[in-house]
Amino acid sequence: MEPGTVLASVEGLSKRFGENRALADVSFEVRAGEILGLIGPNGSGKTTLMECLAGLLPCDGGSLRWRGTALPPERRKRVMFYLPDGIAPYGDLAVAQVLAFFAGVHGRPHSSVDEAVGALELQPALGKPVGALSKGYRRRLLLALALLAPQPLLALDEPFDGFDLRQVQGVMALLRRLRDGGRTFLLAIHQLTDAMRICDRFVLLDGGKLVGAGTLDELRRQAGLGSGGLEEAFLALT
Amino acid sequence: MRSRDPHMGAALTALWRQELRCLFAGKALWVMLLLLSPLVGYSFIQSLSLYGEASRTALQFPELARGMTPLDGILVPTFGSLYLATTLLFPFVAIRLISEEKQSGALKLALQLPFRPATLVAAKLLALGVAWLLAMIPALSALAIWRLLGGHLHGVETANLLLGHFLYALLIAGIAMLAATLTEGGATAAIVTLAATIGSWVLDFAATGRIGWLRQVAALSLTAGLRTFERGIFALPTVLGMLVGAATLFAMTAVVLPLGRPLRHKLASSAGVLVAGAAIGLLAAKPMVYADTTEDRRNSFAAADEAALRTLTQPLAITINMDPGDPRVVDLDREILSKLRRLVPDLSIAFGEVDKAGQFGAAGDDRYGLIVYGYAGRHDESRSTSPEEVLPLIYGLAGVKVGASADAAYPGYPLVAEGQTAAVWFYGGLPTLFGLSWWLIRRRPFRPDRNQGGV
Repeated sequence: MEPGTVLASVEGLSKRFGENRALADVSFEVRAGEILGLIGPNGSGKTTLMECLAGLLPCDGGSLRWRGTALPPERRKRVMFYLPDGIAPYGDLAVAQVLAFFAGVHGRPHSSVDEAVGALELQPALGKPVGALSKGYRRRLLLALALLAPQPLLALDEPFDGFDLRQVQGVMALLRRLRDGGRTFLLAIHQLTDAMRICDRFVLLDGGKLVGAGTLDELRRQAGLGSGGLEEAFLALT
Repeated sequence: MRSRDPHMGAALTALWRQELRCLFAGKALWVMLLLLSPLVGYSFIQSLSLYGEASRTALQFPELARGMTPLDGILVPTFGSLYLATTLLFPFVAIRLISEEKQSGALKLALQLPFRPATLVAAKLLALGVAWLLAMIPALSALAIWRLLGGHLHGVETANLLLGHFLYALLIAGIAMLAATLTEGGATAAIVTLAATIGSWVLDFAATGRIGWLRQVAALSLTAGLRTFERGIFALPTVLGMLVGAATLFAMTAVVLPLGRPLRHKLASSAGVLVAGAAIGLLAAKPMVYADTTEDRRNSFAAADEAALRTLTQPLAITINMDPGDPRVVDLDREILSKLRRLVPDLSIAFGEVDKAGQFGAAGDDRYGLIVYGYAGRHDESRSTSPEEVLPLIYGLAGVKVGASADAAYPGYPLVAEGQTAAVWFYGGLPTLFGLSWWLIRRRPFRPDRNQGGV
């Protein structure tokens, strides 16, 4: 698909947890071959939005259109893979076993696993049980699982959590390479500095409401700012 | 659509392998196996000892030897400990397969794999099948030891008992998996499952000696289903009923499993599955196909009697003027009524209203203890619970003549055997083998299959 064309349209997504409104009529677009940052403080609705989009949480209203066609929640896994934050799956199994399982399910050749292992420097952990991994290695494993997924859109929740500065740079470089290869990313990030370094466009969320969407220049214009970074734009819009 | 994917076969294999890895990597399976070995062993050794004591006398008196049946003396008590383990330990193995994934977040990943929820549930069920086969090792080794000691096994009645335990385990797996899917944590799922299984026990116990709705409901209990097989009866309605019950539970698990399905959809779909399961269950109860698998034909009348009873085309009504809890009613049910139910197409059994006897006094009603038989407008009565007296009475009412029966007499299989070797196996050898397997599996380095996308 031509980079920049609209891949997915989120329209009027809403979600309540009892009396609490987690998402209120959120609409935005995801374009092919971009890294779109879902930006907001903790509790702003980023994870809820991603889980609703992935069909892992029932939403109260709204829809997702994929290349112009409405896509019901049960069919979204065909086009989108969502990597949740804070999960620790398959604790008793070795890292290599988990990677082999995902590769086997997706019909990936072992070269693509080797590639993911190499890119995320997972070699020292391959024989270790997942439950014994440090947070950083666990995040690398989960990222590797996401990279093995064949879906064109990858939604990653806090992908840089648990990494040190050097590792964050490595992961960012990897994501950029994959983007340049045609993959599309939706990243939920609460660290604005990280978001500014990696994302092509931003969707700003606050209290479950969309407060802005676009490139940094477009957000500055929406906020009426002549200059400044994402932090200033976010503060001005909220 | 997805089934046409040429890669789907390999993907399904990878999924099943993963479920097996998760099963073997966890502690629940191994703890169950380690506990099961001495449990089954103790039951078997006790049975062997009691059977041997009874056999010492029976070997001198052929009449007593006819009462020595391995089904009652060895098989049912030995498999009784398997029943206990299936009820109390097996649910934890089943629950872990789902609860662990829910708690660790693996379920969120699994639900995004290219499988339907039903496929995910089926893969877990297949892995549980392997767990159940491993759990059968102690009981099957008890049968092997019994044969080595010179004991007799009747193939059909043994296979029927195994079928009963398999169906029982299937139902327990269904309850446990549904409970794990419905609840947030493994502990809650275990409580729900044990409430269902132990509740079924209590229901069965409470219905003993009762009539009416309680007895009818108790007839559907898990224990009642297994008891049919323990008595050596192959009952197609029971087999189909247990299969449909398990399939309904697994279908409901698949309906409830997807995290993104709204609650109202889950409720509506679950209700639909329940209604369909109940309807199919009612249809499954229709075929009156029964077989007495026992070698001593304890659940059957003589062949000539069975042929004569099958010719009764009109309704046969039996009114029992006794309290349902009276031991004579239990005798009557075992010796006559249970057999008549499987033979006479139109049979009705009712309890008459009579004063029950006091605990130590005589019955307040002279008619207490009378059993009234009615057929084609004619009536007769008897106080006997013996087929030798009751069947001629029924033939008299129906005007049926019965030919001589040429059934071979059951010889009985008394055996005096020592259980020391078995004790070494069940208390030492088998637990060591299970422990060793666990240790080897945990420390075995992973060797990926390079053709399957391994690392």
